[in-house]
Amino acid sequence: MSDGGARPVRRRFVEGTTIEDLKAYMGPFAATLGYVFNTETDFVDEVLRSELEILEATGDVYCPCRVRTGDPKEDVRIICPCIPFHAEQFAAIRKCWCGLFIRTDVEDGADLLGVIEEPEPGAVIEVPVCRVADLPPGCVRHVKLGRADVALARVGDEFFALSNVCRHAFAPLADGVLEGYEVMCPWHGWRYDVRDGTTDHPDADVRTYPVAVRDGLVFVSVTIR
Amino acid sequence: MSVKVFALSTCPYCRMARAYLDENDVSYVVVEVDLMEGEEKDAAVAEVKEISGGTSFPVVVVDEEVLVGFNKKRMKELLDL
Repeated sequence: MSDGGARPVRRRFVEGTTIEDLKAYMGPFAATLGYVFNTETDFVDEVLRSELEILEATGDVYCPCRVRTGDPKEDVRIICPCIPFHAEQFAAIRKCWCGLFIRTDVEDGADLLGVIEEPEPGAVIEVPVCRVADLPPGCVRHVKLGRADVALARVGDEFFALSNVCRHAFAPLADGVLEGYEVMCPWHGWRYDVRDGTTDHPDADVRTYPVAVRDGLVFVSVTIR
Repeated sequence: MSVKVFALSTCPYCRMARAYLDENDVSYVVVEVDLMEGEEKDAAVAEVKEISGGTSFPVVVVDEEVLVGFNKKRMKELLDL
């Protein structure tokens, strides 16, 4: 098997690693994104057996249903669990590409096996981004939504989502400080209202995203392009 | 009718797609991309990217139609089964 060319591979396979070991570290991470292992346990074991082989051969758990290109920036997007990198698509099909993980609101994972329905451009998709308990009031954190970077802020029990990129010098707003409904940019102190993305600086408002809270999860709505 | 399957040896959906074609006695050409090496692999990946817009598998090509993933219903329609 090709190792994707000359790029260095960080070997992390430990002799004796088992499917249970993979489950133990992937499960809790996926839960923070609103996903659980598929209810079809035989299928889960089949996928993880493939991942174990890939881990042994390459040093990482690449998705068994996608191919490595040799470009590290591309390949990092298919290391399992790859949910953050394909957040909108997976939210729409209610599972990850190979079906190892399903959204927590899917009752029977068997319904989704062998079914892939790509969302139509223009469709609005609610993407689970974190658990309510993961973001304390008064805090803001970065959320990766596919290729978009979003700052998710919590004021009391209200959640808001806006672009993570300050329009001044492109600093990450999620590294800033939240004061009331305003997030203050960490680099030069520009302030944005998290409710509507507005700022006092001319032509520098940032976009916002609709947010919903349900079943202990925070969802951000995005439009499929 | 020409049927070509781009597959990965590690991918459960690729196995499902191939099993479905086998069950229905459809003859097809299979390209196992991850088992290739060097330039041959690069060319196969480039072809998959071009026809499917990504690097997700399986990619099933029925004449001019391209199916990404294993969708039994859609495959049945395309193959006239």
